[in-house]
Amino acid sequence: MTGDILRLLLLVLQLGFVALLYLVLGRFSAALLRDLRNAERAQAATRSGIGTLTVIDSPGGEPLAGAVIALGPINSIGRNVNNTIYIEDDFVSTNHAMLTFRGHNWYLEDQGSTNGTYVNGHRIDRPVALSSGDELTIGRVRMRLER
Amino acid sequence: MGIAWRGAELRLLVPILLVAPLGFIVTNIALTGTLAAGPLGLALGYGVVILVVHVVLVLARHRGDQLLLPAAWVTGAIGLVALNRLPQDLAGTSALGFDLGMAATQLLWFGIGAVAMLVIAIGLRDDGLLRHYKYSWAAIGIGLLLATMLFGYEVNGARLWINLGPVGFQPGELLKIVLVIFIAGYLAETRTVLASARMRIGFLSIPPLPYLLPMLALFGIVMLVVVRLNDLGTALLFFGTFLTMLFVATGRRSYVLIGLILFVAGSFVAYELFDHVAARIDVWLDPFADPLGAGYQQVRALYALGRGGLFGQGLGQGLVTLGGSTTIPYVHTDFIFTAIAEELGLIGSLALLAFVAVIVFRGLRIAALARDDFSALLATGLTVSLGLQALIIVGGNTKLFPLTGITLPFVSYGGSSILVSFIMLGLLLSISHRSVVEEGAPS
Repeated sequence: MTGDILRLLLLVLQLGFVALLYLVLGRFSAALLRDLRNAERAQAATRSGIGTLTVIDSPGGEPLAGAVIALGPINSIGRNVNNTIYIEDDFVSTNHAMLTFRGHNWYLEDQGSTNGTYVNGHRIDRPVALSSGDELTIGRVRMRLER
Repeated sequence: MGIAWRGAELRLLVPILLVAPLGFIVTNIALTGTLAAGPLGLALGYGVVILVVHVVLVLARHRGDQLLLPAAWVTGAIGLVALNRLPQDLAGTSALGFDLGMAATQLLWFGIGAVAMLVIAIGLRDDGLLRHYKYSWAAIGIGLLLATMLFGYEVNGARLWINLGPVGFQPGELLKIVLVIFIAGYLAETRTVLASARMRIGFLSIPPLPYLLPMLALFGIVMLVVVRLNDLGTALLFFGTFLTMLFVATGRRSYVLIGLILFVAGSFVAYELFDHVAARIDVWLDPFADPLGAGYQQVRALYALGRGGLFGQGLGQGLVTLGGSTTIPYVHTDFIFTAIAEELGLIGSLALLAFVAVIVFRGLRIAALARDDFSALLATGLTVSLGLQALIIVGGNTKLFPLTGITLPFVSYGGSSILVSFIMLGLLLSISHRSVVEEGAPS
């Protein structure tokens, strides 16, 4: 008699264990779904930009260190105020470098500057393809390219 | 920035905390036929580990992914229930005068793994240490391999173990992480060159070899040594992870095609040259040719899956031991999945696989939200290696692929495997935290 009750209890508990696993799975599904909806909304809000430059170090104060510059497809960089990205620094040439987005990649080209353009600490002598996360040094200004 | 409560994580943890205790109670009733309490200390210990990790992450204001850890915890709980159900003298350790059984030892490793994970997830504030020293990491990897070759000892024909005082350790497990870090660092630097190359031979466009060579050389050495050490599962895992990372970094199908051709050719050569490879494949094609010899393990595993059926025999009611030994050799490591499938059936094992899928999904999401190429590639590599490992061993258990002995992450018994899987989680959480803090990406 007690054996029967125990067997019944065991069956209920066995089913309960599997049910618990699926309850956990259900909670995961709900959390994943919530996340996907949020991500869609966030993506719609940020879709406009193709990339940003984050200023790491800028002794001249223009641009400010910590600033995030939104990039267009073609960006000229230099000490002339007519450049897309204007840098106030004695070590930067009037028209220093050109940062362009072609196809799926960013490219950086030096425009014959006096002090050179550096990517991750290496001076460039021809147009180079960049990866996001790369560090650009122009004069004394250091910037990081990000998606 | 206020305190991050990690509410989503906590909501998931509540039902997960019940999985291990309920499993232990059910197993105990089935095994003893009485209502006596099971190993509740074990269940309590696991709950404490889970909650302590959660509280520490909240106190550290960690804003990393909130679904990754719960998915790992529930997978680990199912593993602990399965290990507790097996004979406890299959493995174990005696430390500080205590004789710990298999499940208790596994819990100890969960604790150690959790500490390692927290240190990495909270301590690793930027990835400079990883990305700038990639060649040092490669050197460490080669060192690990050399150490295994020189000082390693063999278990079951594969030379994987190094004796570290009281515990044995498998350097191959750690090599997995080191290799992913190196490849991620290397690809992040050369990605654009590799992706834009236009060298053609016939209908295949060939990558620019000078850029690919350092990586291929290192990878070739590793593969040769791993195959030499008879660790086929790990070799397959490395190869799959490498190919996926290369594809993700460059987006070029031709690389994958070349890789697959090399794989098929390599497999054929290995089949012809090495007896142990040929034996594995023959067993896979027809385990019943020699059901009491070479095919014994696979045949027993198939019987266990068959006994499990749709709904399973029930926890504690499967045919685990027969005449004093386990029906499936190595049921606690390589064949833990069949033990779970026998007692929980298809529905239970599908739930387990779904939790593994959640880990992979969240890992890839962390990669997609990462701020820079290195972090994205690192997260991809770590995630793919976890997922592939599960795929390879579950496929081997169910005779979908030839069997290659590796562990099922978070489930199989084994200290090295648990520790390394948790280190991977720590790295993923650290990447996730940085992308949320810097970008304001959804957490």
